[in-house]
Amino acid sequence: MVSRLLELFIASEEDSNAKLVIVKGKGRAFCAGGDVVAVVRDTTEGNWKLGAHFYWNEYILNYMMATYSKTQVSILDGIVMGSGAGASIHGRFRVATENSVFAMPETALGIFPDVGASYFLSRLPGFFGEYVGLTGARLDGAEMLACGLATHFVPTMRLPSLEAALFKVNTSDPAVVSAIIDEFSQQPHLKDKSTYHRLDIIDKCFSSRTVEEILSALEREAINEVDDWIPSTIQSLKKASPMSLKISLRSIREGRLKGVRQCLVQDYRICCHVLRSEVSKDFFEGCRAILLDKDQNPKWEPSKLELISDDMVDRYFSKVEYDEWEDLKLPARPNLPASAIAKL
Amino acid sequence: MESSSSSSTDRITWRASVLTRHLNEPSSSSSPRPLESSICMQFSPPELSEKFDFDVIEMRKLMDGHNFQDRDWLFGLMIQSKLFCPKDSGGKVFVSPDYNQSMEQQREMTMKRIAYMLDRGVFQGWLTGRGVETEMQKFAFFEVIGIYDHSLAVKLGVHFFLWGGAIQFFGTKRHHVKWLKDTENYSIKGCFAMSELGHGSNVRGIETITTYDSATGEFVINTPCESAQKYWIGGAAKLNINGSNQGVHAFIAQIRDADGNICPNIRIADCGHKIGLNGVDNGRIWFDNVRVPRENLLNSVADVSPDGQYMSAIKDPDQRFAAFLAPLTSGRVTIAVSAIYSSKISLAIALRYSLTRRAFSVSPNEPEVLLLDYPSHQRRLLPLLAKTSNLIGLGLEVAHIVEFLNETSCCSEIFLSYLCYRYAMSFAANYLKRIYVKRTPEANKTIHVVSSSFKATFTWHNMRTLQECREACGGQGLKTENRVGHMKGEYDVQSTFEGDNNVLMQQVSKALLGEYIASQRRKKPFKGLGLEHMNDPCPVIPATLTSSTLRSRQFQTDIFCLRERDLLNRFAAEVSQHQAQGERKEYAFILSYQLAEDLGRAFSERAIFQAFIESEVTLSSGPEKSMLSLLRSMYALITLEEDASFLRYGYLSTDNASSVRKEVTKLCGELRPHALSLVSSFGIPDAFLSPIAFNWIEANSWSSVQH
Repeated sequence: MVSRLLELFIASEEDSNAKLVIVKGKGRAFCAGGDVVAVVRDTTEGNWKLGAHFYWNEYILNYMMATYSKTQVSILDGIVMGSGAGASIHGRFRVATENSVFAMPETALGIFPDVGASYFLSRLPGFFGEYVGLTGARLDGAEMLACGLATHFVPTMRLPSLEAALFKVNTSDPAVVSAIIDEFSQQPHLKDKSTYHRLDIIDKCFSSRTVEEILSALEREAINEVDDWIPSTIQSLKKASPMSLKISLRSIREGRLKGVRQCLVQDYRICCHVLRSEVSKDFFEGCRAILLDKDQNPKWEPSKLELISDDMVDRYFSKVEYDEWEDLKLPARPNLPASAIAKL
Repeated sequence: MESSSSSSTDRITWRASVLTRHLNEPSSSSSPRPLESSICMQFSPPELSEKFDFDVIEMRKLMDGHNFQDRDWLFGLMIQSKLFCPKDSGGKVFVSPDYNQSMEQQREMTMKRIAYMLDRGVFQGWLTGRGVETEMQKFAFFEVIGIYDHSLAVKLGVHFFLWGGAIQFFGTKRHHVKWLKDTENYSIKGCFAMSELGHGSNVRGIETITTYDSATGEFVINTPCESAQKYWIGGAAKLNINGSNQGVHAFIAQIRDADGNICPNIRIADCGHKIGLNGVDNGRIWFDNVRVPRENLLNSVADVSPDGQYMSAIKDPDQRFAAFLAPLTSGRVTIAVSAIYSSKISLAIALRYSLTRRAFSVSPNEPEVLLLDYPSHQRRLLPLLAKTSNLIGLGLEVAHIVEFLNETSCCSEIFLSYLCYRYAMSFAANYLKRIYVKRTPEANKTIHVVSSSFKATFTWHNMRTLQECREACGGQGLKTENRVGHMKGEYDVQSTFEGDNNVLMQQVSKALLGEYIASQRRKKPFKGLGLEHMNDPCPVIPATLTSSTLRSRQFQTDIFCLRERDLLNRFAAEVSQHQAQGERKEYAFILSYQLAEDLGRAFSERAIFQAFIESEVTLSSGPEKSMLSLLRSMYALITLEEDASFLRYGYLSTDNASSVRKEVTKLCGELRPHALSLVSSFGIPDAFLSPIAFNWIEANSWSSVQH
């Protein structure tokens, strides 16, 4: 799937007849994520490099989208999770609908928000990105538009006419494309219970220096709050893999100072360490508990945040010590937008 | 002739095509048309063309030295908050204060930013924490804050390092308990009132008078004349509490009440608008019979008993005075470091710009030449880069100084607790006093000399770098949003505060002379301040200098040591000659100012060079290490070229001097391909650079104008 998409993207970039690319899902999801089970199977059969190869291609696809010279319009009429986010958010336009459900649920699976999420999550307002990345919170279309994950909100029933209009104009000019989507757009209302109304508390707590401090900040806030939003946020953090939380926070924090390119290179490093289970096997345990056995009861190891040293986290960000291993090599791109360049 | 005529034909064709394009523009269209990129100059990110031969992240770690994640966290806190004025330009977000605001607004914003960071625990442990780890984290945060805005750093420096430091160093337990926690969480705001209108660097000359009234057990503080008004007091215009230092004594006096009203018998005025640092409220203070309780004397070094008896464990007033300058020392360390970060920002911006901006073609049909491909441009910027990179060693040096400071403060702490029970535990106290008198002044001297010389050298280097970078950016360097030019005003003060640079450098030479005389008198080898090389035989410089000799660590070390050694000998001889002619020692010293300046410079540069070598040898072979040795050679040779002493006193022959010059040009060429990776290693996040460091065409396009 990833390789096929990559091929199509490369081909359409070279094809002068192709002006813009519309990416949409079939059925009730845009894309609910990568085939983690297959990766786990390959890796447990002793071949972590097969899994690494899969992610290598996926990250190249993410990079192609982030630096694409034509205009990508992703229609997010359904579930957008994990790899699905990677295949859309890096593109130019993201159209949300009333059916959109966005989430980066990786920490509950024992992994981390990859596919360059450290780039786009870290650029959401305030510390909303930390909140979304660590808790795996689900966002609806209105919230996606409000925080900037989506660029437009179009009701589902208008999608066919939107596609027809885009097809008709057949241009790469982003200003023109944007104007057309605008014609079909609507300003959705945030629900009363939307977490986006909680930005103040989110900023206050999720700006803390460490995961532990984020948790204690939330616990302090819980004393003054009556509703169940804070307790459920605390709950989702406590259910997640402690190692995943630590890696994810560091990745988002570092990603904030990096370009897409460096974020993806970093994701690939972390990903290889995860597959090689050098420090923790949480990925495999998470997949067992959530996707295979479905007992919903993963036994994380290390089991507590305080059992994880800085050195253990450092490992995930270092080069992999394996003979043939190399850092992710991203292709040279003719069109390098500002977002793709950062030095740190 | 042939080629020139054909190229002039080409030029005509080109002009004609430009004119045709103009003529063919439909003149009726009133809305501006998007410019065609094919006919215009296009921005090409330097990352596309430049190569990265070494690991930038590893190099950054070496340069920043410590607390990387803490730094990144604080950078992120700033970037994500509206208080730090994020601004979109050319597809990137930059944060920088709005310097177009009025002085009052800028000050208000400084306080808001402090409140934001306070709320998020940035200052936790800055005064109540203990240990090297806390100390290093504080340094890291302080550096990051300075990268954003000098006013913000200075405002915090006054509150934490001067006021807080005074309580820590001069105060005893009762002051610590009462003030430190409240200072750390900003329940009270402090300033440090030492400088006066009539006296700045000469602290001993200050005129404010404090008398003790044993009838009431109070000190009475007075400003006897206009020249005694406290001047430049950071935070004074707004704040509540103030430590005043008379002679060698510091007192705590409240200058504002909890509501911010000025206390009775205090007069306060603003220092007015300045060339920079307008986010800091510098004020002036007059005291009119201000009464403070006896306990408000910061009594770590000397105390006054209720009946008015003066007591001090340190009999020598010079040493007592030195003990009082300890908080200023930590200030000098932070100034020196922040000067380096300022240079890094400007160099990163100017170099990135010169890797994307072109000017003039060598021949008419060729593309214009990239600024950094001009050897002259390389010569302007790359040595500065080498010098700045060379200050890598500072990371280590600062760590040493911090250790010293900790030692001193621990030592004085133990000493102090004994001082309190002085009479009761006289034996123990006497024992400790001896240790204190023996050890602390030594540590103090090293700290004082090294921090003074580094503070002066780095801040001078910074101002030079800023000016060079400003010019290298051309007109763009004049825009405040591009930081480089503006920073000149912001950082100029560094050569004056916490000790005028020239005065500091004279003190360095004086200290070196002291070592020299002491060693001669006692017939003992030199020990400390890195002067041990004076005990070895005088190094010999080869008659002809080949390229490989010039780049060898041995030669570079030798010539740096030779210069220092010879200048110290000459300086000592000249001063004693003046003395032999009947001049007093102090005046003899003043007369020999030229040699004193040369010597001060020789000492600093040798110390920096050695610090550099120390960090170079810790690396195992690899691309980072080769890069460091290239930079080390650049630093050494550019020093040889720039200091006239080498020719004046004949350490270099004129032939050798010209070999040095040729080698510098070669080194520039060798460093050129690495320029981008070198500035990338500075670890300044993009958001803290400026639009000309990135896509400056897009940043200046019509569509970016607020319509």
